[in-house]
Amino acid sequence: MYKLTGVTKLYQKGRRTVPAVRGLDLVIEDGEWLAVQGRTGHGKSTLLNLLGGLDRPTEGVVALDGTDLGTLREAPLTRLRARAIGFVFQTFNLVPTLSAAENVEAALIPLGTGHAERRRRVEAALDSVGLADRARHLPSELSGGQQQRVAIARALVKEPKVVLADEPTGNLDEDTRDEIIALLEKLWRERGLTLVLVTHDSGIARRAQRAGVMDKGRFRIRQGTRGLAAGAGDQPAPGPLRPEPGW
Amino acid sequence: MYFLTYLRRELRRRMRQAVVIALGLAVGVGLVVIVIAASAGVKKAQGAVLSSLYGVGTDVTVTGKAPAAPTPGSGPPPKGATTIQAGPGGAQICQNGKCQNAAGQTIDNLGSTAYDPIGYSSVASVAKLHDVAAAAGGLSLTDNQVTFPKDFGQAGSESAPPQPNSFGVDGVDLAHPSLGPLSSRTIKSGRTLRSSDTNADVTVVDSNYATSHDLRTGSTVTIDKTTFTVVGVVTQPQSGSPPDMYIPLARAQALGSSQGQSLRNKVNTIYVTAASAADISTVRNEIAKLLPGDTVTTASSLASQITGSASDAAKLANDLGKWLSILVLVAAFVVASLLTLAAVGRRVREFGTLKAIGWRGRRIVAQVMGESVAIGIIGAAIGVGLAFAGVAVIDAVAPHLSATLAQATGQHFRSIGPGGAQSDTPAANHTVSVPMSAVITPGAIALAVLLAIAGGLLAGAFASWRIGRLRPVEALSRVA
Repeated sequence: MYKLTGVTKLYQKGRRTVPAVRGLDLVIEDGEWLAVQGRTGHGKSTLLNLLGGLDRPTEGVVALDGTDLGTLREAPLTRLRARAIGFVFQTFNLVPTLSAAENVEAALIPLGTGHAERRRRVEAALDSVGLADRARHLPSELSGGQQQRVAIARALVKEPKVVLADEPTGNLDEDTRDEIIALLEKLWRERGLTLVLVTHDSGIARRAQRAGVMDKGRFRIRQGTRGLAAGAGDQPAPGPLRPEPGW
Repeated sequence: MYFLTYLRRELRRRMRQAVVIALGLAVGVGLVVIVIAASAGVKKAQGAVLSSLYGVGTDVTVTGKAPAAPTPGSGPPPKGATTIQAGPGGAQICQNGKCQNAAGQTIDNLGSTAYDPIGYSSVASVAKLHDVAAAAGGLSLTDNQVTFPKDFGQAGSESAPPQPNSFGVDGVDLAHPSLGPLSSRTIKSGRTLRSSDTNADVTVVDSNYATSHDLRTGSTVTIDKTTFTVVGVVTQPQSGSPPDMYIPLARAQALGSSQGQSLRNKVNTIYVTAASAADISTVRNEIAKLLPGDTVTTASSLASQITGSASDAAKLANDLGKWLSILVLVAAFVVASLLTLAAVGRRVREFGTLKAIGWRGRRIVAQVMGESVAIGIIGAAIGVGLAFAGVAVIDAVAPHLSATLAQATGQHFRSIGPGGAQSDTPAANHTVSVPMSAVITPGAIALAVLLAIAGGLLAGAFASWRIGRLRPVEALSRVA
């Protein structure tokens, strides 16, 4: 469970101090799917970075299962990321020289998993995203959607507690976007993940249990208190996405 | 395994850049190896020169001080010296105040003109020194033969002044065959001198002299009016001006003279082997204390006296070559570092992502360093190849190097003019011609590998420093 208390993140831009996140209080339950929307530069990615332990708050506490990520030293924070948090990026961020399987395998390297076990888990992860037959392909030999599937497999192969996805469909066409969201939703449901997904797309946001918007560094819940109250077992049924003009 | 897969893929992906960096390092280390090889070749050549002068196994030589050059026409001749005097009845040969007509006479004198004699007991004294392994005495002599025409000096005679026939004779200590100048010679025919020859009139002749004077094993030669039988012909490793003949030391002592004095129980050179290479300097100092009036020379001090193209090549290799190779090496390191930095700069997103998914900075640094070291090893391999090619070129185009060692002052030969006048002619310097051949040693190859890897590590270190400071959020936001 994430518990954010009075979280503020300030950035220094020249002489100006820019607040990216201001006084944020938020609880994200285990197994919850939270969608985060908002305009560019209003703090969505900063929130995701704080949740992923990639950045530290200027004020307040970001706690994952009671562990304050803001005060954790670099080595244990890195270990926590390696073990418990999966990332999915808008631009996929695959290592271009490594095959799909090797990219997925990269997530198991810091865990010290043995070679045979790594192979088994990589095969299973690629199979779960429907790319078992593309294991030896380089990213450049895969379509955008396939690359994002590899990235999702990389995020899931270590069986993390949390997946943080930063606009995972931002670089994809509409059909592929639907495929990827359906995949994420399926995996979220099957594995009981905590999924925090940043998106501009209201159609995607509506499929989440809960959705909120970052507006000038402040977070407002827009929907889905039902989901939060009901827990992961009471999730909305999957269906076609309906793009909306915005909030 | 994953480390190697990642490394291999990255090198393959950035093949062109890897090749450029490796080539830069290769040129740098290749040049260093070539300079080292050339320097080693020159040292080897110098070593060959020294061994031709010294003989193999000699660490220190002791020579008597150089005799003062006589001033023509000044003062009486030393006791026992042979002089030529012109008079109304023709030329006279005079010794100890007794003169006889020179016409038809032959003067044959084996003398020490280069060095003053040293008592033979000094050899034993030197041998007893603490850090001395062995010491042997030797006599470096010159035999001068002059034959006067029968009508020489007579009125109306048209005989030209006689031309002296001179050749070098070395008295060799047969108790220590591994020391002294004869030790480095190779037997071409016959045999070398042995201990049973101590009092025998036998000689070993240098092959050049043997060829020019039509001598072979079994021939006879005259040294100080004594007939010696040639028992062997030897060659020396380098062409130069070695002694023409080697005779037993005891015979040289019996026949030779210096300033009219017999050389019995005398030597003018002592060849010394130190107990170890580290003791050479100590031995030199001990001998200098023991024999203060004599000249003590080591291989290194002799090397510093050598002039000629061998010396110039050594200076070139040591000075210009050293600085040039350092300059190129530094340039190669800088270029490698900049290119590696640029490469890392293009991989910020990759490293940021790896950090985000839990890779520790240390592992990423190891990956980058591994790539740099691999490039360094490739550079070393190419560099060693370049070095072998460079050395082959040097060997193909390099001329023979000449090394000249000035002989001790005071070596003079008295020639006789038609009017009986005397003049002093300094003897020629000892010049040895040696082939210039660069030598790549295993040490030089190891150095090349180490330097190239060091270059790679240095280049990787800068990049790693940058990666170490890289925060994943910065790396990822830079891309976004």
